[in-house]
Amino acid sequence: MLQAGAVQLLCLTASSGVPLFCRGASKQLPFSVIGSLNGVHMFAGGQGVQLFNCDTDRGGRVLWKVFHDSVMLIAVTGQRSDACGNLQLRRLLDNVWNCMVLVLGLEELTNVRNVERLKRELRSCYQLIDTFLDIGKDWMGDLTHCVECLLPAQPAVLQDTLNAFAQAAESDFGCLLVHGKMVVATDKWWRLAPQEVVLLAALVRTLGGSACCDCPIFLPQGSPTVPHRLLRFQLLPGVNVCMLCGPTPTLQSVEGELVVRFWRPLVDMLHGCQALHQRCFPGSVGLHRDVLALLLINRESSRAVSSVHPAPSAPGAPSPIRRWELLRLLFTFATTRYFSQTEAPQKGEQLPPPEEFAPGFSDQPQQCYLVTDECKFFALQTPQHQLYILTAVSVPTFALRPLATRTLSTLTDSTGF
Amino acid sequence: MAHPPPSGSVVLMDWYRSVEGKGFFSRIKRKEKRRIFGLLEAPPIPPLINVDTVRYKVFLSGKSGVGKTALAARLAGLDVSSVHYETIGIQTSVVFWPVKLRDSGQVLLFRLHLWDCGENALRRFDHLLPTCKEQLDAVLFLFSFTDHSSFDDLPGQIARGCDPSDNVVKLVVGTKFDLFMHTDVTEREVKAFQEQWAVPVFCIGGDACDDLQNVAPLLNTLAELLWHQDCVTVGAVPANESAVGDTSSRAGH
Repeated sequence: MLQAGAVQLLCLTASSGVPLFCRGASKQLPFSVIGSLNGVHMFAGGQGVQLFNCDTDRGGRVLWKVFHDSVMLIAVTGQRSDACGNLQLRRLLDNVWNCMVLVLGLEELTNVRNVERLKRELRSCYQLIDTFLDIGKDWMGDLTHCVECLLPAQPAVLQDTLNAFAQAAESDFGCLLVHGKMVVATDKWWRLAPQEVVLLAALVRTLGGSACCDCPIFLPQGSPTVPHRLLRFQLLPGVNVCMLCGPTPTLQSVEGELVVRFWRPLVDMLHGCQALHQRCFPGSVGLHRDVLALLLINRESSRAVSSVHPAPSAPGAPSPIRRWELLRLLFTFATTRYFSQTEAPQKGEQLPPPEEFAPGFSDQPQQCYLVTDECKFFALQTPQHQLYILTAVSVPTFALRPLATRTLSTLTDSTGF
Repeated sequence: MAHPPPSGSVVLMDWYRSVEGKGFFSRIKRKEKRRIFGLLEAPPIPPLINVDTVRYKVFLSGKSGVGKTALAARLAGLDVSSVHYETIGIQTSVVFWPVKLRDSGQVLLFRLHLWDCGENALRRFDHLLPTCKEQLDAVLFLFSFTDHSSFDDLPGQIARGCDPSDNVVKLVVGTKFDLFMHTDVTEREVKAFQEQWAVPVFCIGGDACDDLQNVAPLLNTLAELLWHQDCVTVGAVPANESAVGDTSSRAGH
């Protein structure tokens, strides 16, 4: 039942339907199909109908979205698959558009003078876009639109050092990331839109093992037309400190004068964070060994902690990659059917009714569970949190609720998340 | 510009194969792969051995798609992406490379900071090139064996890349040398270029398995030229002779 599928992404100019790029699935759709997909959307537009999505007989799905009357993105999936529901595809299109704005800026994308030139420029976005299309992800901020965090044992010292470091570099925006997960960030960084923070973390992931970078970027919401500089320094493998700057200081001066001075004294603590990157919360927080994976969302701050290694687990459990896949499916299952949408629908867009049983009920479900032959799921929400857990099949179904409740209180009480 | 010293006259080119050399190179490796160091890290050198670390900035220059990012990754021992992606800004990597000087027998640890910048980004944002060229010690000019225009562009690149008055070490690297089926540049052309410009040319290609042998000739020569240039700058050797060890000029910690 639960299978992930490949998505193909098409990008065309909205007015003339000229293909700009295709990414995703290895076998590209024929040009005639791409033309028809654009044509049917355009035809509907001519009749005063806006086409959002459609399902095919054989279980495929197509989703259209036009951005700023300039660029149309189309997501196409070939097979019936829970991993390619409307929620995922809608998020995917928004994320891809944000990637394009991040790298090229809004001006370049909405004020197209030369299509061939735009095609060339868009190549710079491919690496970032491909990280969102990659199905074997070990992160899920693209889907939750929450900032994925790592909760260190001693956040205060790291926070103070980060603030001082950013100040010395004349920047208000700084953060410390371990394998793409936020450890600490300055107040201003937290005030960026959650989607932007997720996007910046994804960008840092694409930079891999390089030592430093100085990338001109646009903030899709905060600064879509004026570029900033993203400076990133790899303190230890996988441990990066990032800043958003104006024209000064230079990469070389920060690397040469500030990085070692501020961060060398904390090298042991940074090694400690590095060691936590799979677990994402301190070792002092003990969870039941039957919890195979968890996702905890703080609904107020749009932050999340997710882990597929919360506790040493028994042999025979699903592999880590499979656990990520299942966690993503559980999140989609619960949020599309039972839990309220965390964000408002786009203008003019009708969200599907949450669930068949919902009409006539004014109640809002607070908990749900799902049992499969592979594992069991439980999800619950409180005004402040949402918790999703994946457990071993051996856990009795009646014990899921107390296990989830206890996991939530253990995590929130000990970390204050 | 001074003529480069004859190859191997300043540093021992085969030192990494010797027993003594292996002892040092084991410190930049882990499980047969190169170890990746963060900015807060450096190869552990036993305290009793006197090894100075010398730091240099190296810029990679070349047309879009020629393989700048792949070369940087190869030199640093990082994984080389199998797909070509345009680099969206400046990306730098650090290479540690131990070298033994021929005359003094002194061992130096070179910390080469490689600066790589996507061509599209360079064109779109004016501030990037000056940043890359600030306090520069060497430039690697890249061309691709599969693209003759990138080879034709070399003189222009060299002219743009650095002023004749600069004390900047220049090297040329031909990438994708393994794709001989698609080779567009002949060996004779490369040789003629090398003679005319008096710039060493290296050919790189093939599987990017992290074998020191793959990168040693290039890195040793780069280290040799950088060291020689420093010795000339401080007046330790005349411009046309090979260098004698003098660690005072760039010695860091």
